Amino acid sequence: MTRYLGDDWLLPALDAQNRAYFTAGELKVQACRACGHAQHPPEDLCRACGSHDVGPRRSAGRGRIESIAVVHHAVHPQLKLRVPYAVVLVSVDDAPGVSLLGNVVNGAPSELRIGARVRVAFEEAIDPDSGERLLIPQWLLDHTAT
Amino acid sequence: MKGRAIVAGVGESPYYERGGSPDTEFQLACLAIRRAAADAGIDVADIDGFVSYMDARNDPLRLAAALGLRELRWSAQPWGGGGNNMAAAVQLADAAVSAGYARNVVAFRALAQGQFGRFGQSRAVGRVGGEFVFSHLYGLLSPAQECALHTARFLHDHHIAADVLCEIALTCYANAQRNPRAIRYGTPLTREQYYAARWIVEPFRLYDCCPENDGAAAIVVTTRERARDLRAKPVAIVAAAQGLGPAYGVSGFQGRWFPGVFYRGVADTLWQHAGCRPSEVDVLQLYENFTGPALMALCEMGFCAPEDVADRVRADRMSGPDAELPINTSGGNLGEAYIHGFELVNEAVRQVRGESTCQVANVDLSLAVAGPGYAPGSAVLFGRAD
Repeated sequence: MTRYLGDDWLLPALDAQNRAYFTAGELKVQACRACGHAQHPPEDLCRACGSHDVGPRRSAGRGRIESIAVVHHAVHPQLKLRVPYAVVLVSVDDAPGVSLLGNVVNGAPSELRIGARVRVAFEEAIDPDSGERLLIPQWLLDHTAT
Repeated sequence: MKGRAIVAGVGESPYYERGGSPDTEFQLACLAIRRAAADAGIDVADIDGFVSYMDARNDPLRLAAALGLRELRWSAQPWGGGGNNMAAAVQLADAAVSAGYARNVVAFRALAQGQFGRFGQSRAVGRVGGEFVFSHLYGLLSPAQECALHTARFLHDHHIAADVLCEIALTCYANAQRNPRAIRYGTPLTREQYYAARWIVEPFRLYDCCPENDGAAAIVVTTRERARDLRAKPVAIVAAAQGLGPAYGVSGFQGRWFPGVFYRGVADTLWQHAGCRPSEVDVLQLYENFTGPALMALCEMGFCAPEDVADRVRADRMSGPDAELPINTSGGNLGEAYIHGFELVNEAVRQVRGESTCQVANVDLSLAVAGPGYAPGSAVLFGRAD
């Protein structure tokens, strides 16, 4: 799919903590293997129990819109042609306490509501340096949800 | 009254529109510091400490040399964010003086956004890493956008009409009309102009967002014992507090922190330390990076319950010296100048001295609340030293 903010928009600089998030093709949230606590953004250790044994854990990728910012004034020159666009904050059903930022790719900003159900989708991009395939988590309004 | 340290002097440079200063940022800093020392009646060479925040450009060693200090005994900056630390800087000056590590400590902020560029702009190209990857990649790039997410949810949760944001902007502009230092002096804002202005990021329109300016503001903090030797009426630092919380952005959107502007902890610490309640405060300076987070800070600090916002947060109940709760009496970030909030510290001190251009009668307690939405939050309560 074409990227929500344009195919020339920023790409992630991959590192050990975010590689799974941007390449797995399924939603991965960092969790603690000792106590099960899920957390975001990733950290070097578990913020709940202190264990150093943290890593990506698969999520079913379902959630709820917690808030919406509809951006009209572009603060980056590349986004002048993209406004207005919406950034949403999504709480993840199977990662309590974790909320992720993203864009809803199948709805206009005016169609979005706090409380709406969403499911994960992925924007594809190719890293021009490594040739690696990136799959960037985004969101779809889930009209099938009850 | 608690507080061993006092504010002996306040000073500022002229305030300018962004890019309007004929002086460099460092010159503005030195000017504000000299004026604060002169206001106190303290020889600038006797200053022996500097505190600022997010101000690496005007470092204490360079200032000490430029101002001819005899000795530099203390320098510090609080970590994290930006204008959220304006009151934390006063707290660090208070700590140094109260502990006896230094005798005449200047807390200040200088900001020349014409010389050094603007906040809230991004020219990132190619790649983004670290924590920003989880926000910038989705087009969430600026403080206005981050604060919009908090504000939208706060308004939703408490069934507050977004119209209330206008009331804060109107209050600041109305008070700025009394203050010749204010950049918006002579430029009133009407409700019609507010609503006719363009969206920046919903729910913020243009006048919900603070401008960008050039200028500097400073205070001199010294010991209570020196008060009788000074030129100006001494003002006590009754209490100050910093509040912990996750740093900003993505961290602040998680679980129990959302929506919030990091002032619940500040309130607990400040009111306990001061031994008083919000209702005892006579006048309030409230940092408005954007109107929405200022509204949230007002609630988190205990001045207003969210369910009472529609009734209490009205320009006709907050503007002018006779208001029920006078706020931002010099015009604040929106109306006076955006000196990263330090102009609010100067105004809070002036209210205790009886020297505001919008002077509230019989001020015993004057509070300045720093920038909301970024941790640590901070606040400082000033009072009469006699």
